[in-house]
Amino acid sequence: MELPIRGPLAGLLSWLVPGLGHFFLGDRARGLILLVSITATFWTGVAIGGVRNTIDPNGDRKLWFVAQVCSGGNAIGALALRSAVAKSPQPKGSYLSSEVAVHFTGIAGLLNILVILDAIARGEPARGVSGVDRRSPKGVT
Amino acid sequence: MIGLSLASLFITAIDLTGRQRLLLMWPLCLAIAVVYKTLRCEHVRQVPSSAMVLWVTIVFGLYAVGLGLWGLYTVLV
Repeated sequence: MELPIRGPLAGLLSWLVPGLGHFFLGDRARGLILLVSITATFWTGVAIGGVRNTIDPNGDRKLWFVAQVCSGGNAIGALALRSAVAKSPQPKGSYLSSEVAVHFTGIAGLLNILVILDAIARGEPARGVSGVDRRSPKGVT
Repeated sequence: MIGLSLASLFITAIDLTGRQRLLLMWPLCLAIAVVYKTLRCEHVRQVPSSAMVLWVTIVFGLYAVGLGLWGLYTVLV
Protein backbone atom coordinates (compact mmCIF):
# COMPACT_ATOMS: atom_id res chain seq x y z
CA MET A 1 0.00 0.00 0.00
CA GLU A 2 1.34 3.42 -0.97
CA LEU A 3 1.24 6.42 1.33
CA PRO A 4 -0.88 9.29 -0.05
CA ILE A 5 1.76 11.77 1.15
CA ARG A 6 4.64 9.89 -0.49
CA GLY A 7 5.36 12.72 -2.96
CA PRO A 8 5.37 15.62 -0.48
CA LEU A 9 7.36 13.52 2.00
CA ALA A 10 9.95 12.75 -0.68
CA GLY A 11 10.09 16.49 -1.47
CA LEU A 12 10.62 17.37 2.19
CA LEU A 13 13.36 14.75 2.52
CA SER A 14 15.00 16.13 -0.64
CA TRP A 15 15.02 19.60 0.88
CA LEU A 16 16.57 18.32 4.12
CA VAL A 17 19.24 16.25 2.38
CA PRO A 18 19.55 16.54 -1.42
CA GLY A 19 18.82 13.14 -2.98
CA LEU A 20 17.26 11.65 0.18
CA GLY A 21 13.80 11.84 -1.40
CA HIS A 22 14.97 9.64 -4.28
CA PHE A 23 16.54 7.26 -1.74
CA PHE A 24 13.18 7.12 0.04
CA LEU A 25 11.44 6.31 -3.26
CA GLY A 26 13.90 3.45 -3.87
CA ASP A 27 15.96 5.18 -6.58
CA ARG A 28 19.22 4.90 -4.66
CA ALA A 29 21.75 5.42 -7.47
CA ARG A 30 19.99 8.60 -8.59
CA GLY A 31 19.76 9.82 -4.99
CA LEU A 32 23.46 9.21 -4.40
CA ILE A 33 24.50 11.12 -7.55
CA LEU A 34 22.27 14.06 -6.55
CA LEU A 35 23.55 14.03 -2.95
CA VAL A 36 27.20 14.06 -4.00
CA SER A 37 26.88 16.67 -6.77
CA ILE A 38 24.74 19.20 -4.87
CA THR A 39 26.57 18.83 -1.55
CA ALA A 40 29.97 19.11 -3.26
CA THR A 41 28.88 22.23 -5.17
CA PHE A 42 27.55 23.89 -2.01
CA TRP A 43 30.58 23.20 0.19
CA THR A 44 33.02 24.06 -2.61
CA GLY A 45 31.38 27.48 -2.63
CA VAL A 46 31.70 27.80 1.15
CA ALA A 47 35.38 26.74 0.95
CA ILE A 48 36.09 29.37 -1.73
CA GLY A 49 34.49 32.34 0.03
CA GLY A 50 34.64 31.37 3.69
CA VAL A 51 31.39 30.77 5.55
CA ARG A 52 30.96 34.34 6.82
CA ASN A 53 31.32 35.96 3.38
CA THR A 54 29.18 33.33 1.65
CA ILE A 55 26.21 32.66 3.94
CA ASP A 56 24.98 36.08 4.98
CA PRO A 57 21.27 36.46 5.78
CA ASN A 58 21.69 40.16 6.66
CA GLY A 59 23.95 41.25 3.82
CA ASP A 60 23.16 42.83 0.47
CA ARG A 61 22.69 39.46 -1.27
CA LYS A 62 19.40 38.46 0.35
CA LEU A 63 17.97 36.83 -2.81
CA TRP A 64 21.07 34.67 -3.10
CA PHE A 65 20.55 33.68 0.54
CA VAL A 66 17.01 32.55 -0.31
CA ALA A 67 18.50 30.37 -3.08
CA GLN A 68 21.08 28.98 -0.63
CA VAL A 69 18.37 28.02 1.87
CA CYS A 70 16.80 25.80 -0.83
CA SER A 71 19.67 23.37 -0.30
CA GLY A 72 18.23 22.70 3.16
CA GLY A 73 20.53 20.72 5.41
CA ASN A 74 23.64 22.13 3.76
CA ALA A 75 22.48 25.70 4.43
CA ILE A 76 21.50 24.83 8.03
CA GLY A 77 24.97 23.32 8.59
CA ALA A 78 26.66 26.37 7.07
CA LEU A 79 24.54 28.72 9.20
CA ALA A 80 25.49 26.73 12.30
CA LEU A 81 29.18 26.95 11.36
CA ARG A 82 28.77 30.69 10.72
CA SER A 83 27.23 31.31 14.14
CA ALA A 84 29.93 29.17 15.78
CA VAL A 85 32.72 31.30 14.30
CA ALA A 86 30.85 34.61 14.46
CA LYS A 87 33.09 36.12 17.13
CA SER A 88 36.43 34.85 15.90
CA PRO A 89 38.59 37.30 13.89
CA GLN A 90 38.57 36.55 10.19
CA PRO A 91 40.14 38.49 7.32
CA LYS A 92 37.59 39.44 4.69
CA GLY A 93 38.18 37.67 1.37
CA SER A 94 38.30 39.45 -1.96
CA TYR A 95 35.10 40.53 -3.68
CA LEU A 96 35.83 38.04 -6.50
CA SER A 97 36.01 35.04 -4.18
CA SER A 98 32.84 35.93 -2.28
CA GLU A 99 31.02 36.49 -5.60
CA VAL A 100 32.06 33.07 -6.93
CA ALA A 101 31.24 31.45 -3.57
CA VAL A 102 27.72 32.92 -3.51
CA HIS A 103 27.16 31.71 -7.07
CA PHE A 104 28.25 28.15 -6.21
CA THR A 105 26.08 27.91 -3.09
CA GLY A 106 23.10 29.69 -4.68
CA ILE A 107 23.16 27.49 -7.78
CA ALA A 108 23.40 24.40 -5.53
CA GLY A 109 20.18 25.57 -3.85
CA LEU A 110 18.48 26.28 -7.18
CA LEU A 111 19.46 22.83 -8.46
CA ASN A 112 17.97 21.35 -5.29
CA ILE A 113 14.62 22.95 -6.20
CA LEU A 114 14.67 20.81 -9.36
CA VAL A 115 15.50 17.76 -7.23
CA ILE A 116 12.64 18.52 -4.80
CA LEU A 117 10.12 18.93 -7.65
CA ASP A 118 11.35 15.72 -9.31
CA ALA A 119 11.04 13.78 -6.03
CA ILE A 120 7.48 15.08 -5.54
CA ALA A 121 6.55 14.09 -9.12
CA ARG A 122 8.10 10.63 -8.83
CA GLY A 123 6.38 10.06 -5.49
CA GLU A 124 2.90 10.71 -6.87
CA PRO A 125 0.85 7.53 -6.44
CA ALA A 126 -0.12 6.90 -10.06
CA ARG A 127 1.56 9.39 -12.34
CA GLY A 128 5.24 9.69 -13.20
CA VAL A 129 7.32 12.71 -14.21
CA SER A 130 5.87 12.96 -17.73
CA GLY A 131 2.29 12.70 -16.55
CA VAL A 132 2.01 9.20 -18.01
CA ASP A 133 0.86 6.41 -15.74
CA ARG A 134 4.02 4.30 -15.50
CA ARG A 135 2.30 1.39 -13.81
CA SER A 136 -0.19 0.72 -16.58
CA PRO A 137 0.91 -1.15 -19.72
CA LYS A 138 1.95 0.95 -22.77
CA GLY A 139 1.64 4.18 -20.77
CA VAL A 140 -2.17 4.25 -20.95
CA THR A 141 -3.63 6.47 -18.25
CA MET B 1 42.24 18.14 15.41
CA ILE B 2 40.99 16.90 12.03
CA GLY B 3 37.61 18.54 12.69
CA LEU B 4 39.33 21.85 13.47
CA SER B 5 41.39 21.85 10.27
CA LEU B 6 38.32 20.77 8.28
CA ALA B 7 36.36 23.67 9.79
CA SER B 8 39.16 26.13 8.98
CA LEU B 9 38.89 25.04 5.33
CA PHE B 10 35.38 26.48 5.31
CA ILE B 11 36.15 29.56 7.41
CA THR B 12 39.09 31.09 5.56
CA ALA B 13 38.40 32.62 2.14
CA ILE B 14 40.60 31.94 -0.88
CA ASP B 15 41.86 34.91 -2.90
CA LEU B 16 40.97 34.32 -6.53
CA THR B 17 42.34 35.88 -9.69
CA GLY B 18 40.20 36.60 -12.75
CA ARG B 19 41.64 33.58 -14.59
CA GLN B 20 40.87 31.27 -11.66
CA ARG B 21 37.32 32.56 -11.67
CA LEU B 22 37.00 31.57 -15.33
CA LEU B 23 38.36 28.09 -14.54
CA LEU B 24 35.88 27.65 -11.66
CA MET B 25 33.11 27.85 -14.26
CA TRP B 26 34.05 24.27 -15.30
CA PRO B 27 33.10 22.46 -12.04
CA LEU B 28 29.99 24.61 -11.64
CA CYS B 29 28.80 23.72 -15.15
CA LEU B 30 29.66 20.07 -14.46
CA ALA B 31 27.40 20.09 -11.39
CA ILE B 32 24.57 21.66 -13.38
CA ALA B 33 24.96 19.10 -16.19
CA VAL B 34 25.13 16.12 -13.82
CA VAL B 35 22.08 17.16 -11.78
CA TYR B 36 20.02 18.00 -14.87
CA LYS B 37 20.86 14.75 -16.67
CA THR B 38 20.38 12.68 -13.48
CA LEU B 39 16.82 13.98 -13.32
CA ARG B 40 16.08 13.70 -17.06
CA CYS B 41 17.63 10.33 -18.00
CA GLU B 42 15.38 7.28 -17.76
CA HIS B 43 18.28 5.01 -16.72
CA VAL B 44 21.13 6.10 -14.44
CA ARG B 45 23.72 4.41 -16.69
CA GLN B 46 22.95 7.00 -19.39
CA VAL B 47 23.90 9.86 -17.04
CA PRO B 48 27.74 9.97 -17.44
CA SER B 49 27.83 10.20 -21.23
CA SER B 50 24.90 12.59 -21.62
CA ALA B 51 26.11 14.79 -18.73
CA MET B 52 29.56 14.96 -20.35
CA VAL B 53 28.06 16.09 -23.67
CA LEU B 54 25.92 18.72 -21.91
CA TRP B 55 28.90 19.91 -19.84
CA VAL B 56 31.10 20.45 -22.89
CA THR B 57 28.20 22.17 -24.70
CA ILE B 58 27.57 24.58 -21.80
CA VAL B 59 31.24 25.44 -21.25
CA PHE B 60 32.12 25.99 -24.91
CA GLY B 61 28.81 27.77 -25.49
CA LEU B 62 29.58 30.19 -22.66
CA TYR B 63 33.14 30.76 -23.90
CA ALA B 64 31.77 31.38 -27.42
CA VAL B 65 29.26 33.93 -26.11
CA GLY B 66 32.01 35.57 -24.03
CA LEU B 67 34.39 35.75 -26.99
CA GLY B 68 31.63 37.13 -29.20
CA LEU B 69 30.76 39.85 -26.72
CA TRP B 70 34.44 40.67 -26.18
CA GLY B 71 34.91 40.94 -29.95
CA LEU B 72 31.87 43.19 -30.23
CA TYR B 73 33.16 45.37 -27.40
CA THR B 74 36.59 45.61 -29.05
CA VAL B 75 35.06 46.66 -32.37
CA LEU B 76 32.61 49.17 -30.92
CA VAL B 77 34.77 50.81 -28.24
